[in-house]
Amino acid sequence: MSVVGPALRAEWRRVVSTRLWWALLIPVVALAVLVNLFGSLLGEGLGDAGDLPVLPASIAFTLTLTAVFAAVYGTVAAAGEFRHRTVTTAYLTAGGRGRVLVGKLVAGGCVGVLYAVVAVTTGVVAGVLGQGAGRVPGTGALVGVAVVGVAVAALWGVLGAAVGVLLANQVGALVVLLVYLQVGELVLAAVMNNSGSAALARLTPYLPGNAGDVAIYDFPARALAGPDLADQVVEQLAGVTAPPPWWGALSVLAGWAALAAVLAWTVADRRDVT
Amino acid sequence: MDDGSGRITVHDLTKQFGSVSAVAGLDLTVEPGGVTGFLGPNGSGKTTTLRMILGLVTPTSGEARINGMRYAELDAPGRVVGAVLEAQGFHPARSGRAHLRVAAAALGVPDRRVDEVLGLVGLADPAGRAVGGWSLGMKQRLALATALLGDPRVLVLDEPANGLDPEGIAWLREFLRGFARQGRTVLVSSHLLAEVEQGVDHLVVIDAGRCVYQGRLERLRGTGQARVLVRCPDPLRLAQALAAAGVVEIDTLHDGRLGVAGVDAARVGDVALAAGVAVHGLVEERVDLEQMFLQLVSEGRR
Ligand SMILES: Nc1ncnc2c1ncn2[C@@H]1O[C@H](COP(=O)(O)OP(=O)(O)OP(=O)(O)O)[C@@H](O)[C@H]1O
Ligand SMILES: [Mg+2]
Repeated sequence: MSVVGPALRAEWRRVVSTRLWWALLIPVVALAVLVNLFGSLLGEGLGDAGDLPVLPASIAFTLTLTAVFAAVYGTVAAAGEFRHRTVTTAYLTAGGRGRVLVGKLVAGGCVGVLYAVVAVTTGVVAGVLGQGAGRVPGTGALVGVAVVGVAVAALWGVLGAAVGVLLANQVGALVVLLVYLQVGELVLAAVMNNSGSAALARLTPYLPGNAGDVAIYDFPARALAGPDLADQVVEQLAGVTAPPPWWGALSVLAGWAALAAVLAWTVADRRDVT
Repeated sequence: MDDGSGRITVHDLTKQFGSVSAVAGLDLTVEPGGVTGFLGPNGSGKTTTLRMILGLVTPTSGEARINGMRYAELDAPGRVVGAVLEAQGFHPARSGRAHLRVAAAALGVPDRRVDEVLGLVGLADPAGRAVGGWSLGMKQRLALATALLGDPRVLVLDEPANGLDPEGIAWLREFLRGFARQGRTVLVSSHLLAEVEQGVDHLVVIDAGRCVYQGRLERLRGTGQARVLVRCPDPLRLAQALAAAGVVEIDTLHDGRLGVAGVDAARVGDVALAAGVAVHGLVEERVDLEQMFLQLVSEGRR
């Protein structure tokens, strides 16, 4: 702690002295309100489905979106150091590039946690208002999805920061991240699912974006469909084949984050700062 | 071990950027207690050298040491060396004070240091405003303030006078002198000799990544040939008289004057009087260091 303590304190000051963290928090809140208000109204419309735990599902969807914003924050903040050429001073004052990287990864993770906590809080409020007070089914699944979603957002914040340091080009890193998450992985998973190879199809839940989604959808799928059909629901929601349980998927995502961090460290340690 | 000397040593330092040889076998020593000017034309490798000293660029071969250690081996490098590398290295939306507070936290120095250095560089007033709206000179001062935060033993500055007004340049010169007088080390780069001429004790001149001069500024001045410029209606006869008196280094300037090297004005006047040649003007030429600098650089290219 004493080694990275000053770097973390410096990173905290970096985060709060620019607007990025709350600029990205606005769409997170807006989406949380819209998704859960709409989701719960949809649940109302299903007639006696008032008993169905719709809220955990709409919160889960909110959290998969929130994770993207966490990743975007991590990437933009980390690559911004290079864009604004502040990385020179960061390296010189931190006394080592490793400490700067750790600061960036921790900051990405913490902002991810913040986004997910805010998304769950506003989402639940919006959902309860939409459904009418006093009917909040699926409390257990709700707690489960919230905890897993916070962890996923934190990991995506870390992963995003690692990508930002790795590529060191703000626009480039952001484009790579978003194109991969929004298009690339969908195409990749579709190809793998339809390749005819069962082995390849079974790998789809291990792609980073899917791993996060699988982890998040686990609890609500169980609450909605029961233990027997839960896997099929997750397969539909996340677009994967043979999903692992939430803790398995979370470990896979953590593995991806660790891999990205190691790559970022390897590259950043050797990179000339000219 | 960290010898605490404040000395910078560079040995056989080389940096190759692809096919570009930015620094080629550079050797130099910067001693504490004085200001060392690091001079070279554009693209000669000054910035690359300074960044290698600071561990930001990895040398292709050779090494740079501060206090006998490589930068990465220093215990608290941010408190040993302060660096002014670029005036543009600021997030435009952050205030000057916020920038310094970030650096202070990373260095582990108390926050009151922030206001001290802001006062020192004359930025106490605008400190709360976003740096995006600052002038280049103000950013240079902020970069200097950042370098001073850790109260370093060694100061490395890359063209710190860029963007400063004449008053600012004079202030910086005095500041660096005072800093060096405390027994600390100052290495300051420039591509203009005139900029550092008044403020430096030692000079390192590089060209194309190689050292072409290293030594005291006076020594460089001393090696320059001072001339006496003579305006005279009959230059030919004066030249003959001078030659007869053993003075052979005589040029004819484009304005018709004679340039006589290796003698002082009194001797030229005496010879002219003895030869009965009228003299209308007699000036001792000042050694033009800028000229010498250019000469050094062009010699280095040959
Ligand atoms: N990152 C880089 N990639 C490729 N070439 C580089 C890089 N940085 C510097 N160079 C080249 O190395 C040489 C030395 O550059 P450097 O910036 O060190 O010179 P300088 O003396 O600081 O010049 P100036 O007075 O213009 O600041 C130049 O030819 C430059 O083009
Ligand atoms: Mg330069």
